[in-house]
Amino acid sequence: MNTLGFFTSTLGFLAQDAAQEVAENQDLVTIVPWTLIAQLCNLFIQLLLIKRFLFKPIREILEKRKAAADAAIGDAEKAKEEALSMKNSYETSIRSAKSEAGEIIANAQKNAASQSEAIIREANEQVVAMKAKAEKDIAQERRKAVNEVKDEIGSMAMEIAGKVIGREINEKDHAKLIDEFINNVGVES
Amino acid sequence: MDINIVGPKIYYEVPVDIPILGRFQITETLVVSWLVMLIITLLCIWLTHGLKVEKISKRQAFAEMLVEMADKFVIGNMGEKFRYFVPFVAALFATSLVSNLISLTGLRSPTADLNTEAAWAIVVFVLITAQKIKAGGVGGYLKGFTQPIALLTPFNILSELATPISLACRHFGNILSGVVINGLLYAALALASNKLLGLIPGAVGDLLSNVPILAIGVPAILSVYFDWFTGVMQAFIFCMLTTMYIANAAEE
Repeated sequence: MNTLGFFTSTLGFLAQDAAQEVAENQDLVTIVPWTLIAQLCNLFIQLLLIKRFLFKPIREILEKRKAAADAAIGDAEKAKEEALSMKNSYETSIRSAKSEAGEIIANAQKNAASQSEAIIREANEQVVAMKAKAEKDIAQERRKAVNEVKDEIGSMAMEIAGKVIGREINEKDHAKLIDEFINNVGVES
Repeated sequence: MDINIVGPKIYYEVPVDIPILGRFQITETLVVSWLVMLIITLLCIWLTHGLKVEKISKRQAFAEMLVEMADKFVIGNMGEKFRYFVPFVAALFATSLVSNLISLTGLRSPTADLNTEAAWAIVVFVLITAQKIKAGGVGGYLKGFTQPIALLTPFNILSELATPISLACRHFGNILSGVVINGLLYAALALASNKLLGLIPGAVGDLLSNVPILAIGVPAILSVYFDWFTGVMQAFIFCMLTTMYIANAAEE
């Protein structure tokens, strides 16, 4: 109990003024009202001290950290939302671009189809027209050839006939006869 | 050999008699109590200086852990609505713990004086009663004594009073037993070393036999139980019962 010497000496000046110095021990098990009241006060003083010096600063710092964490989480959520909205806008733009491209391709295909159809139709028409023209030409040529041949044959026949009968047959007078002859030849040939 | 196990020393007595309360005495209990308060407060100040929000020191982590443990203990035992009891229970626990452990330094524990525990128990009793009155009103509180039948009223009053008395005496008894055992042990070890070293013949033996050589080391083993274990345990039990009693009182 030497450690208490310090306290004894500090309390010494009080003791000197005291009318009666006490140097005895309290009973081992007893209730001393004043000591009890003092200890009661001590407990409340301790309560205030611990509240002021431990709980208040620590609670403040915990509160601050919570606020900081909340702010960080809020920021992260905001960033996430922004990213999501950006993603959405990108997706919509990509989708619209895709549909546009599809449209363009479809249009092109349609155009190509119609164009090719038109070309084919035109070609067909041309072919038909050419064919018709060719046929017409051929027919004409043929008629022409036939007519020429007729004329040739007519004149040859008249020549032959003239030579045979010895006199020149008047073409005009016998045109009818010649035509008849040729037609008969044409049919038979 | 006389073994004297006595109460705390009285350093000074204010020579004024006050009716009923008697004289104010500055005893070992009070002086060590003030020392305990000083230690706790300085510890709190040391723990909480230079607090930071980020990149905290180990010291701050420990302080935060203490506060969170106190929160968890009180809220776990009493529920969220008793959050305001956290500093009280923490003060009770810290005071009790440091008071119990200060005996390790050779000082006399303030908790080895019934007045200390009685003061705490009175506070707890007042809190219990306040919670009961808050829960059921004054009428409900008084009516509670006649339950289940009026015949049991004296016993109910007794059991009500037994709560703080048992609370105080449990803590006090455990700490006092440590003091008594330690006193006996030191005396016994002094006697044993006296006899042992007295075997050395001549003046050397006479001189050495006054040194309680066995008192070095051996009491440390017992102190593990009587100071550390009992000290921590009793502080914990006291706070545990306090929270339980108050929470139960509010539920009734």
